[in-house]
Amino acid sequence: MAEHAATIRSQVVSEHAAAASEATLLSEPEFQNLYRLHGRALWGYLYKVTGNAADADDLLQDSFCRLLATKFATRDDGQLRAYLFRIASNAAVDQWRRKSRADRHAAASPPEAPADASNATVMRYDMARTFGQLKPQERVMLWLAHVEGTEHREIAETLGLKATSVPVLLFRARRKLAGLLTKRGLGPG
Amino acid sequence: MLDRICNTEPSVVAAAAAGHETDPVVVAHVAACPSCRAAVGAVCWMRRMANDPAEPHALPNPDVIWWKAQLLRRWEAERRAAAPIERMHKAELFAGLASLAGFVGWQWSGLTKVLSSFSPVGLATWSTQTTTAGSAADPSSLVFLFGSIFLGVMILAGVHRMLSE
Repeated sequence: MAEHAATIRSQVVSEHAAAASEATLLSEPEFQNLYRLHGRALWGYLYKVTGNAADADDLLQDSFCRLLATKFATRDDGQLRAYLFRIASNAAVDQWRRKSRADRHAAASPPEAPADASNATVMRYDMARTFGQLKPQERVMLWLAHVEGTEHREIAETLGLKATSVPVLLFRARRKLAGLLTKRGLGPG
Repeated sequence: MLDRICNTEPSVVAAAAAGHETDPVVVAHVAACPSCRAAVGAVCWMRRMANDPAEPHALPNPDVIWWKAQLLRRWEAERRAAAPIERMHKAELFAGLASLAGFVGWQWSGLTKVLSSFSPVGLATWSTQTTTAGSAADPSSLVFLFGSIFLGVMILAGVHRMLSE
């Protein structure tokens, strides 16, 4: 599976490489600007998907390193952001596959909020715990589809799935999330 | 009720994902369709969670990421540059083994002769022959012996280099 992800990644890289002959690597100021614009959002995504700040840090670094190793013909902010989220998702799924089942469960289940926490903090912990009950692939898929607005074809490429399976898997993930929200009293009425 | 997909769900979900869940058409459909209500609820919750600021956390230093990326690129360039040498090492080992096989095939009769001479009877006969004839051993046996030693050393060196890498 990790090999498949690596193949997809190399395909993505070669797609970009083939996009234009004058494709170039990002310069340091371009990278700094991109990091300033999207670093926080990407970290937030990785933190919510992995449920672990240290993992989010590692994956953030890994994603930007991969981005800096790729030549781009474009400097379009939206395209670079979409690419960044794709490689971050890929890295998160790779990491999840490498981890043992026990580690996965631990990482996906943040602890309960401290007793003296504010309402906002309690709600944040509750959200993280609810989201952590989904499978990593479901979390990535839901985020890419409903937060980043990524197309089904791109989600399929990122996760190594068939494009036709994505709507069905998304449907199931939404159902599962709706069920979890209902169970926690947060569901639609 | 929730295990059946509604035909309008993709468009309702797309509207909710785009922040149009309060559109009257969407609201009217969602009120009547529990399946779409659950889906819209999940999508809106996802958006709310995404907009919720995470705990304050210092991001990794971008300068460190930049230099790490440069280092990784340099290593990758070095690995690519060294790839033909790596391939040659493997080819060298393969050529050594092929030469050994060819040599053994070519000197098969000499090999059997030398191997048989390693028995006590053979060694005694060889010793008698060399003493009485006053000459050196069979030249083909010597070629075989030195050839085998040379090839063996070559292969061992190749294997040693591969293992040490």
